[in-house]
Amino acid sequence: MKSIHACVLLASLVMFSVAAAADDPTSTTAGGDPAAGKRVFFADGCFYCHGTTGAGGGIAGPRLAPNPLPLEGVKAKVRTQSGRMPVYSPAVLKDSEIADIVAYLQSIPKGKDAKDIPLLNR
Amino acid sequence: MSRRTKQTSDEHNSLDRRKFLKAATLAGTGAVAQTVVAGQVAAAESSTASSSERHTVQIASREAEQGTPHYDGATQTTCGSDFMVDVMRGLGIEYVAAIPGNTFKGLHESVINYGMTSAPSLELISCMHEEISVAISHGYAKIAGKPMACMMHSTVGLQHGAMALYNAWADRVPVFAIVGAQLDASKRGGYVDWAHSVFDGPGLVRDFIKWDDTPISLRHFAESATRAHKFSITPPYGPTVLAVDQELQEDPIKSGETLVIPHEPLIAPPRGEDGAVNETARLLVAAENPLIVADRAARTPEGLRLLVELAEELQAPVVDIYGRMNFPWRHPLAQTRRQALLAPNADVILGLELTDFWAVTGNRLAPGAKRISISAGDLYMKSNYQDFDRFTPVDIAIAADAEATLPALIEAVRKLITPRRRAALKARGAQLAKDHQETLEQSRAAAAVGWDLQPITTARLCAEIYEQIRNEDWALCNGTIFQNNWPQQLWTANHHYQYIGDAGAYGLGYLPGASVGAALAHRKHGRLAVAIGGDGDLMFTPGALWTAAHHRIPLLYVVHNNRAYHQEVMFVQMMAAKRQRGITRAHIGNTITDPNVDFAKLASSMGVYAQGPITDPKDLGPALQRAVAVVKRGEPALVDVISQGR
Repeated sequence: MKSIHACVLLASLVMFSVAAAADDPTSTTAGGDPAAGKRVFFADGCFYCHGTTGAGGGIAGPRLAPNPLPLEGVKAKVRTQSGRMPVYSPAVLKDSEIADIVAYLQSIPKGKDAKDIPLLNR
Repeated sequence: MSRRTKQTSDEHNSLDRRKFLKAATLAGTGAVAQTVVAGQVAAAESSTASSSERHTVQIASREAEQGTPHYDGATQTTCGSDFMVDVMRGLGIEYVAAIPGNTFKGLHESVINYGMTSAPSLELISCMHEEISVAISHGYAKIAGKPMACMMHSTVGLQHGAMALYNAWADRVPVFAIVGAQLDASKRGGYVDWAHSVFDGPGLVRDFIKWDDTPISLRHFAESATRAHKFSITPPYGPTVLAVDQELQEDPIKSGETLVIPHEPLIAPPRGEDGAVNETARLLVAAENPLIVADRAARTPEGLRLLVELAEELQAPVVDIYGRMNFPWRHPLAQTRRQALLAPNADVILGLELTDFWAVTGNRLAPGAKRISISAGDLYMKSNYQDFDRFTPVDIAIAADAEATLPALIEAVRKLITPRRRAALKARGAQLAKDHQETLEQSRAAAAVGWDLQPITTARLCAEIYEQIRNEDWALCNGTIFQNNWPQQLWTANHHYQYIGDAGAYGLGYLPGASVGAALAHRKHGRLAVAIGGDGDLMFTPGALWTAAHHRIPLLYVVHNNRAYHQEVMFVQMMAAKRQRGITRAHIGNTITDPNVDFAKLASSMGVYAQGPITDPKDLGPALQRAVAVVKRGEPALVDVISQGR
């Protein structure tokens, strides 16, 4: 049996604000490696809740990309309790790995606009 | 008239699913009895033959346990189970789902040789698992608005079906369940009969059914069946169980016995008390930021219409928990996606058949806000299983059926709205309509993210399905929480039958059976039934696909194949992170890979047209189009889509 309440809470408490984050002057990859970040994103199972390119998984996990939070924002979400999102300590997920993940998320292109997709305008 | 006196060896073996056919020799033949059918069951009187006029053949020999049953030559002219069929038909039951079991072989034979051959038809739906039998009944009832029957073998059969009964209980859905019983210990055969006997069979599920009984006479059966049926469709709806003794099914009707089928009354659902309803109306009309939250509020199409009427009178936002099709998805007052904004700022929250009122706001309630509940759940609840959710202190608790109470509430609201107030409400409604449109645009923008991605996003999956069905009379047969509620975000749905909610207790294995049951109910209306279900769920009860193929039940089953029990990965990650042991192994036990399951082959093996696995989103539309064509011809089809987690 699957409990859904945890995910509802997660969704309501961990919704990332992605608007214009890419233009944020504080945004930095801190030298992260996108390829390494992708490997970590898959190996650590981030994609299970957030999608393979951070597109989000609804109540399971908010959208992370395109336009991800800056590094410090992501680090804060990873290091501190926020809803039911697991807390990952440096022993589990190093600062450098978080930087790599952010670099991966920043490398993800925006993609199509909804207005250009006929199926989304029915 | 004697119909069958011989049986092939194959047929013998087919009776032997669990190798437990019992020995029995009947005394008395040619018994003459009288069946009196009353009230609603007049239709049963028109049957080609009544239950007291026919013969059946009784299986005898303990050898039957070993798979070689034979007859002792004894015949009889009547049997109790034919009368039971008449009772079920009299209750308006059209279908009975079952996998064979010898404790109801008398009823089984009566259904196929009497129920299915005379009017009104009572058709046996062949199943592969008792969990599927119950789930089919569950899904059927949510569309048909009435229960169908399911029969289960004593002990092991009911144990298999128990979880599905719990789903029906938690989902407030009527299921008319019959389990076989061998009450007379002196009539039991070998060890299998004893292993399949129980003193109090329904006790296993008594914590999560509305009512049960073990009748000891045919009159008793008729009265208890009518009572069980009545209870199941009196709000709050719920499943009932009758344990029916083998001898009662198989023995002849006693000579001269007059049997009466009680007529069932029209059910009047409990309505809210006038004073409480009027106070609720006063609070709602005076509220600046009222909020209506509906869960299983619309039991019938009328419930949806009434909720629209109430919302429009008040120009109040409606948050739909999606337990049922409560409210049109594109109605300007549909504000489900804005719940997190609306609920903490609401000054009056009206919960309609809300199971979990607490989850609406939690502790984030506006100062002075009033919470009002209208729920039949307050009228009947049990204690052991905790599906009643967290206690929520409400200000007015109306213990009544919400749908039945809405007419009085609407009338009271209407009387209180002055022209000046109506103008203010209109302005509120205009703002909400604007908010609804903005939310729709946000949903579309979110759906566009990762549009061409592989694995395919759930948004793309749902948009592609809608593209193929939107010009049909479609009906979605699954809850959508695991697809991020994309159908509600992107599709237009106005009819009550277009959505039925989820399992109730989130017990896996629900959807394959429930969607087949719902599609069975849709079939006579010519609707295009669609289900989107997870791969994990389908692996529990894939045999439901065979039932759909066998009975030519048209259903488009789309597998949201994320190759994992996705929900649980996060929980295991959480544990591993907390224990500082790394999170790279959290997928173990959660993923369904190595090997990947080929659901198209699985479906094809059971006679279901299948496509997939579909990995490229460009291939999805054409595959769905081909599958829809098959479904429109009256057959089931499956499309396996390799998808993102959610």
